[in-house]
Amino acid sequence: MQKWFVPILAVGLIFVTGCNHSSTSSARGGAPGGGQKLTIALLPKSKGNAYFVSCENGAAKAARELGVELIFDGPTDPDPARQNEIVDNWITMGVDAIAASCENKEGISTTLRRAQASGIKVITYDADAMPDARSFFVNQATPQGIGNALMDEAARLCSSNGEFAVITGSLTAENQIEWRKYVEARRASLYPGMKLVAVQACDDLKDKAQSETTALLGAYPDLKLVLSTTSLGVPGAAEAIKQAGKAGKVMNIGLGLPNENKRYVHEGVTQSVILWKTEDLGYLTVYAACALAKGELKPGDKTFKAGSLGEFKIEGDNIMLGKPFIFNRDNIDQFDF
Amino acid sequence: MKRHFRELSVAAALGVLLLALALCAPAFYQPQPLLSLATRQAPVLVVACGMTLVILCRQIDISVGSQFAVCGVCAGLLAAMHWPLPLVLAASIACGAAMGAFNGLLIAGLELPSIVVTLATMAAWREGLLWLRQGVWVDLPDGVQWFGLSQAAGQWTLVMTALTLLTAMAFAMTHLSAGRFIYAVGSDAEAARLAGIRPRRMTFAVFTFTGALVGLAAMMNVTQSPQVDPNSGTGLELKTIAAVVVGGVAISGGRGSLWGAFVGLLLLACISPALTFMHVAAYWEKAIQGMIILLAVAADGWRNRKRNL
Amino acid sequence: MNVQRHGIKAFLFRQETVLGVVLVLEWFYFDAVGRNFGTYDNTCDILRHSSEIGLLALALTPIILTGGIDLSVGSLLGLCAILFGKLWRDAHLPIPLAMGCTLGLGALAGGLNAALITRLRLPPLIVTLGTYSLFRGLAEAITRGVDTFTNFPASFLALGQGRWLGVPAQAPVFLAVALGYWWLVHRSTFGRSFRAIGYSPEGARYAGIPVHRRLALVYVLAGVVSALAAILYTARLGQAKADAGTGYELFAITAVVLGGTSIFGGAGSVYGTLLGVTAIGALDNGLVHALQPGEMAGMLTGVLLIVVLAGSAAPKIISTLRARKAATRIAGHSS
Repeated sequence: MQKWFVPILAVGLIFVTGCNHSSTSSARGGAPGGGQKLTIALLPKSKGNAYFVSCENGAAKAARELGVELIFDGPTDPDPARQNEIVDNWITMGVDAIAASCENKEGISTTLRRAQASGIKVITYDADAMPDARSFFVNQATPQGIGNALMDEAARLCSSNGEFAVITGSLTAENQIEWRKYVEARRASLYPGMKLVAVQACDDLKDKAQSETTALLGAYPDLKLVLSTTSLGVPGAAEAIKQAGKAGKVMNIGLGLPNENKRYVHEGVTQSVILWKTEDLGYLTVYAACALAKGELKPGDKTFKAGSLGEFKIEGDNIMLGKPFIFNRDNIDQFDF
Repeated sequence: MKRHFRELSVAAALGVLLLALALCAPAFYQPQPLLSLATRQAPVLVVACGMTLVILCRQIDISVGSQFAVCGVCAGLLAAMHWPLPLVLAASIACGAAMGAFNGLLIAGLELPSIVVTLATMAAWREGLLWLRQGVWVDLPDGVQWFGLSQAAGQWTLVMTALTLLTAMAFAMTHLSAGRFIYAVGSDAEAARLAGIRPRRMTFAVFTFTGALVGLAAMMNVTQSPQVDPNSGTGLELKTIAAVVVGGVAISGGRGSLWGAFVGLLLLACISPALTFMHVAAYWEKAIQGMIILLAVAADGWRNRKRNL
Repeated sequence: MNVQRHGIKAFLFRQETVLGVVLVLEWFYFDAVGRNFGTYDNTCDILRHSSEIGLLALALTPIILTGGIDLSVGSLLGLCAILFGKLWRDAHLPIPLAMGCTLGLGALAGGLNAALITRLRLPPLIVTLGTYSLFRGLAEAITRGVDTFTNFPASFLALGQGRWLGVPAQAPVFLAVALGYWWLVHRSTFGRSFRAIGYSPEGARYAGIPVHRRLALVYVLAGVVSALAAILYTARLGQAKADAGTGYELFAITAVVLGGTSIFGGAGSVYGTLLGVTAIGALDNGLVHALQPGEMAGMLTGVLLIVVLAGSAAPKIISTLRARKAATRIAGHSS
């Protein structure tokens, strides 16, 4: 009897599902089940990252104002294929719009194109996909803008002369690779006196960033500045610099959230933290996704109005949130995220 | 000499590495960075001591990383509520012991395989913590970092705690009967049972004790910085298992010592900073670590092969 | 130990049955609660998403049967993915030839595991722990962490994303491998020898089984299957990166153990593994449809694993308790 158990079970389940044969487009039409509530699905790069938690807060606010249903789900493990699988499931569920922050540019585009083909509106935020796989990219700042801001700040603090090191989240995260590319381009063109001596990955762990920075401080005695392209890097590096007694002698900057860095900024260990208003990013993303789904936002539009935040410029297919914002000792207390 | 072949050969490998550093990157040997490195590795050493006992018992525990994260967040939240530090420490140890006891109940009580039980608890606790905290950090009040002492005092306290624990446990393993019972259970549980030892109680005790050690290590980690990252402890199980195994503790149980695990940990912990100091690119780290693990065990296997033939 | 008893009671308590019941309950629950869960398209999705982990789980089944383990299959998937990309993009090999070479390289990597385990008599846990770091490290070193391979031809991508006669293109590949392993484990003498080796390697050797050759075979096969999974993964994602397959070995082991294969070796089945893979795949998929957060998948998988294992250990515990009660009764009578 045992022998036939599995085949019978398999056939039975397939039969049951076969009877439920509904193509995705018709399912989508009937899915919201009576109520006309739109469903917007927001995909972070990973859950458990305070940056995306902050984006979600803004997104939830926008969803409440607009009266749409917000689904927020993302990978909880480092498997790069998980984002694809979650989007695949959303396509089957028949959501109205997907807003994704993409870990793998080409990889995620595979499934985003499928979503577009089945009638779901797709936009990206924070980290872009391939341009043909989405209608708009809600850009907090162009990668070039971010790279330039980081390098300019670094050069300012080092008087355009000195060695610096970069702490990145993981070696494979594509948006960080792009930012590093622009940092290098800016350095080569404007600040030849600055020398990049090492790039270390901290696997998005604050403790590892601390260990790596300790090693860097010892291995490169002339190091003047540590630059982190991940928000987990700045506090870890700051702690390492503080423990080595080099606060003020080795500068610490990077992309990071104000709350996680307030202490170090006030102590003078971290000089600047660069970011953008993450809650606004989430808010704008949901507004844009909803407008796209309703047909109010179309390719070719030049401006977009998002609720209480006002008007935003659209450059090509990038909805610009604004410029990167530099948090330092003078202004960091005004922010709470 | 023959009995401690593995420990000595790993110590020799460590010596070679340190020598290479002295020649190519003498900047490694500065007191402050070394102390910082030692302080960061102190919690890992504490967990490795526990893992040694588990592996000696012929079991394995891959949930230590998740336990570490949960205890760390617990300790952080209690400290943020201004509980006195000794109480926070006790709570962290109790939390770890409770999780270890849960493992022990399933493994010793229901006789389920340890790799599977700890695989399940690893996933459950890590994801449960993520579900509850959503990755938000815990901000600690002043006075928690370094127990409120100066940085140097705090660092020395942590390092000496770890080393004292190691020495005490190494002494206990050879001189106390409980220690010998662990070796007995790991070598042959049935023979141990017939000799009057209760293998299942020993196994339960070992897992609970390891959990308590993880709680202690988590507290040691929390006092090293003003914030608690709930993702800390990721990869801890692999680090400690590799260190213990490279240090000569047999995965089949019953053989090996804490000192071996200590030397193994030193070797593996030095690889990453050594690469940085020798200006080797970061992406070689995992490959080199894997090679060292394989070489360490292969050397032993080669010796076994020659002996068996 | 799983003693093969017969009869309806034994059948009900077998781990595969418990898992089958769980799977059916899962299915009906998610169908009721989730949006569009019980549809043909979604079933295809579950199959597509589980195919790589399923292949790895199939490869691990005979290994765990022999009492061994292979923690390096996920890292080998990543290494083979980027090797495949490199062969195609930088060495300009045509796709079929690149695929063949990748399978060969996977076999070589499996051979490394096999050599260390059989020739040097090292414990599989340690060897594969080392190769777990080594293979991933080689993938990162070859790509320097940053290099990725994309823009594969559409005909190749169809393997991972398209349909063949109405079923996902991975289905025939997965089915072929599943049938192959089923035949190997359940129908060939090799399969019996795996169980024998799992019960007692020494006893198997004295019985005339070429233990080393059989072990080498399963580890090399695992390497080949990891390479195959890497190819499917790359086709599904349209991209090959060094971090491909991170964490897959643990999912695969979970599926195998859920399915009733004893981690101590000597007992298990391919059916169980397939059930385990399906149960986990349906759980992951269903939770998204039920609008539950991703963390629930990990927690529920852990709970499921413990419940299923404890459930199958229940008869043994009940009989032990009964024996103890009987013994005290006898002792009471005789005193």
